[in-house]
Parts: sequence; C-alpha cells; structure tokens
Amino acid sequence: MHEDDSGVTKKRTLQLPSMSVPLSSHEMGEVELSCLAYAKMYLHASQFPRCSVNGLLLSSSAAGGAVCITDCVPLLHTHLSLAPITQLALTQVDVWCSQTQQRIVGYYQANACASDSSPTPCALKIAEKIFEQCNNAVLLMIDGEKMFPGCRVPPIVMYERKDARWALKDKHTIMLRQWEETCSIVNQLFSSGDQALLVDFDSHLDDITKDWTNQKLNAKIMELVSPANGNV
Amino acid sequence: MSSISELYDVSWEEMRDKLRKWREENYRNSEQIVDVGEELINEHASKLGDDIWIIYEQVMIAALDCSRDDLAWSCLQELKRQFPDSHRVKRLAGMRLEALERYEDANKLYDSILQDDPTNTAARKRKISILRAQGKSSEAIRELNEYLEQFVGDQEAWHELSELYINEHDYAKAAFCLEELMMTNPHNHLYCEQYAEVKYTQGGLENLELARKYFAQALKLNNRNMRALFGLYMGLFATSHQPYTPQNPEAQGFAARNRDEVDCVQLKFQHIHGEGLSC
Repeated sequence: MHEDDSGVTKKRTLQLPSMSVPLSSHEMGEVELSCLAYAKMYLHASQFPRCSVNGLLLSSSAAGGAVCITDCVPLLHTHLSLAPITQLALTQVDVWCSQTQQRIVGYYQANACASDSSPTPCALKIAEKIFEQCNNAVLLMIDGEKMFPGCRVPPIVMYERKDARWALKDKHTIMLRQWEETCSIVNQLFSSGDQALLVDFDSHLDDITKDWTNQKLNAKIMELVSPANGNV
Repeated sequence: MSSISELYDVSWEEMRDKLRKWREENYRNSEQIVDVGEELINEHASKLGDDIWIIYEQVMIAALDCSRDDLAWSCLQELKRQFPDSHRVKRLAGMRLEALERYEDANKLYDSILQDDPTNTAARKRKISILRAQGKSSEAIRELNEYLEQFVGDQEAWHELSELYINEHDYAKAAFCLEELMMTNPHNHLYCEQYAEVKYTQGGLENLELARKYFAQALKLNNRNMRALFGLYMGLFATSHQPYTPQNPEAQGFAARNRDEVDCVQLKFQHIHGEGLSC
C-alpha cells in the first residue's frame, strides 16, 4: 500500500482492504472505482471534447459498507439541463439495473470548459435525485485539465452528501485499483481504435440500434483487465 | 503508417470530393479531415487547382481542433502568402491564437478587422466565442443579443444564443430563440423537438401541453425522430395525470384525450420493438 503525492491511495492486489482504512472513515464511506467504470467515463469525455457529458455510476455489490462503483452508463453530450431526455434515460437505466442486479450509486459529469470542474446546478439536481434512493451516493466531476497523456493523477474530483450539501470527499477514501494498469488499458483502447465503440444514450437516440449498455466495449475492456488480478 | 488512399483504396479525386461534402454539410469530424486533407495537400497539391485554398482553410481549422499546430501553421502560411491582406485569412490567424489560448492577441486581431470593416460578422462571432471559451456566459449572451439586433436573420447566432440560455437555465428566453428559428425554418424537425424539450423542462400544465404539441409536430416532420417520439409519450403521460383544479378546468379533458393517445404511442413503440429497431 502506498500513497503518491496525489493523495489517492493505490491498492496493490491481495491486500486486506481493512488495513488501508483510517479509523475515522466508517463515518465517510469508502468508495472504490473499478477499471471498467473509469475507462468508460474517460472515453466518454474524450469522445466529445467540446461538449459537457454526463452519466450514471452503477454498483453490482450489495448496499451497505463501502461503495463499489463497478460500471457506468454514459448518458448525454447535448443539453444536459433539459428534462425530458434525462428523465427518460434515468428511467431506462433504472429498469435495466433492476433486471441486472445493479444499483445507481452516483453521477459523473465532465464540463465542456476543461478548466472548470465545479458541479453545475444540473449536476447537483441529478445527484440529489440519486441520493434520495441511495444514501451514500457520490457525485464525480471529471477534471479536464488533468486529462493529458502521462498525467500521474486520476482526473477526478468526488463529492459526497454531508450536512445537507455536497462536500468534497476526502481523497484517502477514494480507491482506484491498479491505477497504472487502468491507464495502460485506456491507452490500448485508444491505439486500437476501440474507443469509438462507446455508445452513450444520446447516440442511442440518434441511432436506436446502438447499445447504450455497451456490452461489446465492456467485453473488450474486461479482456484487457489482467485475469490474474481478480475482480476489478 | 500507410496512407489514407492505401488504407481505404480511394483516389485523390474521391478524397477531394469527400472533403467538399464535409465542408458543405458543416461536419466537424476534425481527425478525419486532418488525415485526408494532410495527405491531399502533401501528395496531390498540384492537381487540386484553385480548390487548394479552400482546402487549406478547412484543414487548418480541423488541425486547430486536433492540436496540430504544425499543420495549422503551415496552412496559414500558404494562405497568407496567397492572400496577404485578406480579412478571411486574418480571422484564421485569430482562430489559431484562440487555440493557443492567447485570447488578448486574438481579440486585438479581430478588433483590427472590425476597425477596417465594422460589418464583418465573422470577427464579431469569434469575439463572442472567446467570451464563451473563457466561461463569461453573461457577457457572451449580452454581446450576442447586440449582434442579433443588427443581424436578425443569422440562424447560427439564434441557435448559439438558445444554447447559452439553456446552459444558464433561462428556459423562457431559450424558447424565444427557438421560436425565431421555427418561424424561419418551419420544416426543421430538430428545432420543433428542441423547443418541445425546453417547454417540457419549464413544466406546468400549459407548457407540458405545448411540449406535447411540438413533439407531435416534430414527429410529423420526421417520423424517425426518437427524441420526439419518447418526448411525446412522456408529455402525454405527464398531462394525462394532471388532476382537475378550479384554476384549470380543462385539465380533465386533456387528461382523458391524452390517455387514449398514450395507448396509441405505446402501440407505436411495440411496433418499433417488433421490427428489432431497439436494443
């Protein structure tokens, strides 16, 4: 277990999670972000560099304890603050989650203006809605300024609900397994051209045959994730 | 690294025609434009004739999008050499400065164009884009409003303004902009559908009814517009559940009629599912 200057704790495999958790963190929940979720968020933001993009964070593990973000669904890249399509997407994802034993545990957004990674009113609104159903929901903003190749720090800023408002989450409670491997997987996706496989809900509405659950891309990413390291 | 012509087995004429299509239809597929355009410029410049200048412009803008300052610079140099006093080329130089985030210098360049030619719309629009890039939305909105007072027919500007208002959650003003667009483009299903989305977002029975009507209109103009179809369904659903209130005695009438329409829309969805058109 080691920490780099970013303060994000990088977990080595086969280490017992409880060893890494500071005693006070049972108040603020731990959040684990899987390679699959991270990769798809990153690809989504990269696919639409001129637009604000958003999406939902999902978990396939049971409620209670640490939040494990195991997947994400990229939603929109146009008119994030208009209601009908957002409502539609939330409903459809909700239904899909109940069919696949997943829960919506958070929301991510990347602003069009790369230098501004603060949550917009629309982000706060949707995160509130998710919090109503999931009391350790997280709001994740992607920091565009850190999305350059070779950046050693994950380009994410996480918020959690504390005292009726969204507060910055302590970096020590955010876990990104196998950060270097995750980065190299993302690079591989770009060099093989597979990043173009990503479909968000907006693209699905433009061409209804496209799969917004991204089964194909998920399979490609899971192939790249080294099997020797266990679940990601 | 094999060339585009080898990879896709296309001739230089086909590449030139593809670039023209992308130019005419205002595509922003910058990586493709750079790949195709760069090869065309490097290998086939002599065959392109006078087309080469407009291709230099197109490739330069795409190169800025892809952070290819080397390519952008060489295109700009060629254009400067051929058209030394052109405002159009000056604007491109300004865009390059914007891409390098040298906004002060870019603004100076645009101001000098406007001093020479106060009616130059391109320079004014670039100045507004700079405000937008810097996150100064309210100033961008103000400038754009002033611009539209002079150039009332500029559709691109009306649409840009509606986007700015939507981002600021000022839905009433966004709706106004879209109304202008719908008046001048009554057959454009996208404007109808966007207007309906804004009305739906505003909420309240009257706005939901209006949203429903415009989703239906968008579908009439293009029955493959999925957003309009879903929007219509949601609008019907929302309005069919409005209770009767003394302020709004028509609500129940709407509700009853809309419940029937919900059934019709559901049938349409089943039809689409049946054709295997959804995932």
